[in-house]
Amino acid sequence: MAGIYIHVPFCKSKCRYCDFTSYPQKIGFADAYMACVLKEMKLRSAELKGKKFDTVYFGGGTPSVIDSKWIVGCMNQIRACFELADGAEVTIELNPGTIDQQKVDAYKHCAINRFSIGLQSAIDSQLEDLGRIHAAKDFRIACDLLGDANKSADIMIGLKDQSVSDIKKSIEFASDCGVRHISMYALTPEDGTPIYTDYLNGELPDADAVAEMYQAACKFLKEKGFLRYEVSNFAKSGAQSRHNLNYWRRGEYIGFGVSASSFIFGRRFTNTHDLDDYMKCILSNHYPVVDDALIDPQDARFEKVMLALRTEEGLSLREYKQEFGTDFASDFLEPLKKNAKYLELTNSRIKIKDEFLYVQNTILIDFLQ
Amino acid sequence: MSQPSKFIRNFCIIAHIDHGKSTIADRIMELTGQVSARDMEDQLLDSMDLERERGITIKLTPVRMYYTAKDGNEYEFNLIDTPGHVDFTYEVSRSLAACEGALLVVDATQGIEAQTLANVYLALENDLEIIPVINKIDLASADVEGTKKEIEEVIGLDASYAPCVSAKEGTNIEDILEKIVEHIPAPQGDTEAPLKALIFDSYYDNYKGVILFVRIKDGSVRVGDVIKTFRSDKQFEVTEVGAFNPKLLPKDLLNAGEVGYIAASIKSIQDVAVGDTVTNALEPASEPLPGYKKVQSVVFCGIYPLDGSKFNDLKDALLKLQLNDASLIFEPDTSVALGFGFRCGFLGLLHMEIIQERIEREFNLDIITTAPSVSYLVHKTDGQELFVDNPSHLPEPADIEWMEEPIVKAEIYSPPDYIGSIMDLCQEKRGVFKDMTYLDKKRVKLLYTLPLNEIIYDFFDQIKSRTRGYASFDYELIGYERSELVKLDILLNGDVCDALSMIVHKDRAYPRGRELAENLKDAIPRQLFEIPIQAAVGGKIIARETVKAVRKDVLAKCYGGDITRKKKLLEKQKEGKKRMRSIGSVEVPSEVFMSILKTNK
Repeated sequence: MAGIYIHVPFCKSKCRYCDFTSYPQKIGFADAYMACVLKEMKLRSAELKGKKFDTVYFGGGTPSVIDSKWIVGCMNQIRACFELADGAEVTIELNPGTIDQQKVDAYKHCAINRFSIGLQSAIDSQLEDLGRIHAAKDFRIACDLLGDANKSADIMIGLKDQSVSDIKKSIEFASDCGVRHISMYALTPEDGTPIYTDYLNGELPDADAVAEMYQAACKFLKEKGFLRYEVSNFAKSGAQSRHNLNYWRRGEYIGFGVSASSFIFGRRFTNTHDLDDYMKCILSNHYPVVDDALIDPQDARFEKVMLALRTEEGLSLREYKQEFGTDFASDFLEPLKKNAKYLELTNSRIKIKDEFLYVQNTILIDFLQ
Repeated sequence: MSQPSKFIRNFCIIAHIDHGKSTIADRIMELTGQVSARDMEDQLLDSMDLERERGITIKLTPVRMYYTAKDGNEYEFNLIDTPGHVDFTYEVSRSLAACEGALLVVDATQGIEAQTLANVYLALENDLEIIPVINKIDLASADVEGTKKEIEEVIGLDASYAPCVSAKEGTNIEDILEKIVEHIPAPQGDTEAPLKALIFDSYYDNYKGVILFVRIKDGSVRVGDVIKTFRSDKQFEVTEVGAFNPKLLPKDLLNAGEVGYIAASIKSIQDVAVGDTVTNALEPASEPLPGYKKVQSVVFCGIYPLDGSKFNDLKDALLKLQLNDASLIFEPDTSVALGFGFRCGFLGLLHMEIIQERIEREFNLDIITTAPSVSYLVHKTDGQELFVDNPSHLPEPADIEWMEEPIVKAEIYSPPDYIGSIMDLCQEKRGVFKDMTYLDKKRVKLLYTLPLNEIIYDFFDQIKSRTRGYASFDYELIGYERSELVKLDILLNGDVCDALSMIVHKDRAYPRGRELAENLKDAIPRQLFEIPIQAAVGGKIIARETVKAVRKDVLAKCYGGDITRKKKLLEKQKEGKKRMRSIGSVEVPSEVFMSILKTNK
């Protein structure tokens, strides 16, 4: 398994909680930027010869704000430069209010088969607090446009004045619109974002309240047929995101575009977070990489554990041994002993018990050696 | 018999904190050309970082200067700086023994403070000539005549000739120098007699070995001499002698009457003790100088390395600190909760804090300090008597007939406006009122007896905050009194944590237990399970708080597969965890053991 990630850093406007690399003011750069992304693929094509990719993911920003010809162009370039498996999962993130029939047709035509839509909440006042530019009804319109394609919704918890029944309403709404996958993240007020002031003023629910929301939402999602397969991801049967699963299984992926991360040939590297810098590098035929590190065997083992323990399937002891040649239990004897009561072992897979999945950091820290 | 030079003056400066002692010392050094104004860093004598930060003098730093007086003669001045804080009376007595005179610096805006008085009396006991110096005359609120009157009334010194100066502006400093020449006697002694030198301080130099700070009382010492001390038979060949400028300045010899240093490749810091007398090994003096009063530790606490494997490093650090601070005592100790460490005795709370900070800064060691305790006298049912300063060593209640606790006499000086709040505080702290006298319209002296264990927590902070900093306070140990004392235990997750136990008065156990449990609840971070914190006396629970289990700590959305960032966040959290100590299954931050002293008021 290997994935391809393309970062599209443009938005109509910046949400109040966003600290990702996105440029609402610079949509005029989109043509130049996307030309660079195509060129970056070309630059990488020789060294990735022979790698087979199973998933593609357009993330952002909002990939649906730019002209769909660039998405189509990316898909053509991917096919020209790399080996893309038949039946590959190809996802694009989009926001309600940014697509029309023409775009949807173009996406489907170039084999995009999964649509991840930023709903966040079905309560309009909450969308406004987040600085979203759409209303809940726009989500339904988008879903109708997409028809019976495989759809996912993002939902946020931990919002100002949010109640458990608000969250249930949002889940219900997404489900009614035909969504088969839900990503549910807690709002993280990052320093420097406008929403951080709400946090400083005590307007956001505290960690205990968020935990309460999370537990209630998990239960409700299950009732609706969405099963948790990762701490923040829930899917109806067969609708798990293969692209994301690949991250958690510590599979390889190559990222294109500003601030995109990659993990391939045992190295992790990240592209520059500066748009101008990115384009300058590409135009002068340089890789725009800023951080690049070969992962040593001990780090690799920890990564494997850290990522696998996020998931419902947990860590396969057999797979671990195959990958590293050592036994998980002897590599992590001390942390295992210390955390025995938070872990469970079934069919030679080890996972964090359901009730402790939401406090995994404290457990994972012990595995950092 | 031949007398030492008539042109030597050995003196120290006595002053309350902030009354300008270091500034006056700096001005004197500037005026005698000891330090060019350009090279001068403010407050030269306070050389430890810690001293500069806190604006106080802890260690003695001697300096030699030369001054040509109006009588046309050149005089050698040896200034030995003294600490001002109440905890360091012992250090003061060491400097006094090396001097013939003292400058008593009094702030013209504040008058004489309690602890200054204590040091003045020490100086008088040592037969020192005292010259009052009125400082800060440049300030609008200066009351020169009132201050002089106070000196005459309170101490009984003639203040009519006292130099009135402003150290800040450098006014009248020369007057001080002239008064030193006129009033402070030249040292007595016999330069021909066998060597007798009093060690008043020492420190360890990596290249030269132990450097002894000495006052030569009789005879002389030069490079190549073989010396010994009275308490040890070991002999050392002198490799260097000299004066302080204030850095070490080598000389050919040191003569009777002089203050200086001796280096003799002394490797072991246990071979020489401050207060001991150095003599010539080949021609020894018959008896030592009187030395110092042995000091008594008043406050005790446990010090443990945060990293258990650093026990020996901690031991080294304590030994080195003890070399120039003989008042620090320590012995190995073990705690169930904290492992191997040391039980240490100090002169007071400030002394304790200073030592803790010096261990961390100068030796780069992370340490855990337990709450301070005093030494209790326990009368056992079998007739035995023992002193206990470590609560976890207290015998079982059934074996205790009765206990006594140390009592101090406290003198509190304050403007009359705050008498009420001071009395309230003393009452809360189980104090017994003894006397109240008006020193003048603006100053009242309150006399109380108080249990020492009430003072070591936050008495000093409280008195300062309740009097907006106006009151000052001094205390001395006057003995032991029978008292109803109990051991207060803290249970974390059901297990007694011995490092948190304390001995308290029976009537104070309940509020203290509540307060402790509340403080601990705030100080211990939430963990994966609920942690009950209980305070107990004799197996009976008297207070309970709960640290709730953490319910959410999952990292935010992992965007675009940026796993490196996630890993870094975990590593950062792991770093924070290293400052914690596992007590049973509970992880406790190292600061907790001290922070529990804070009161919630």
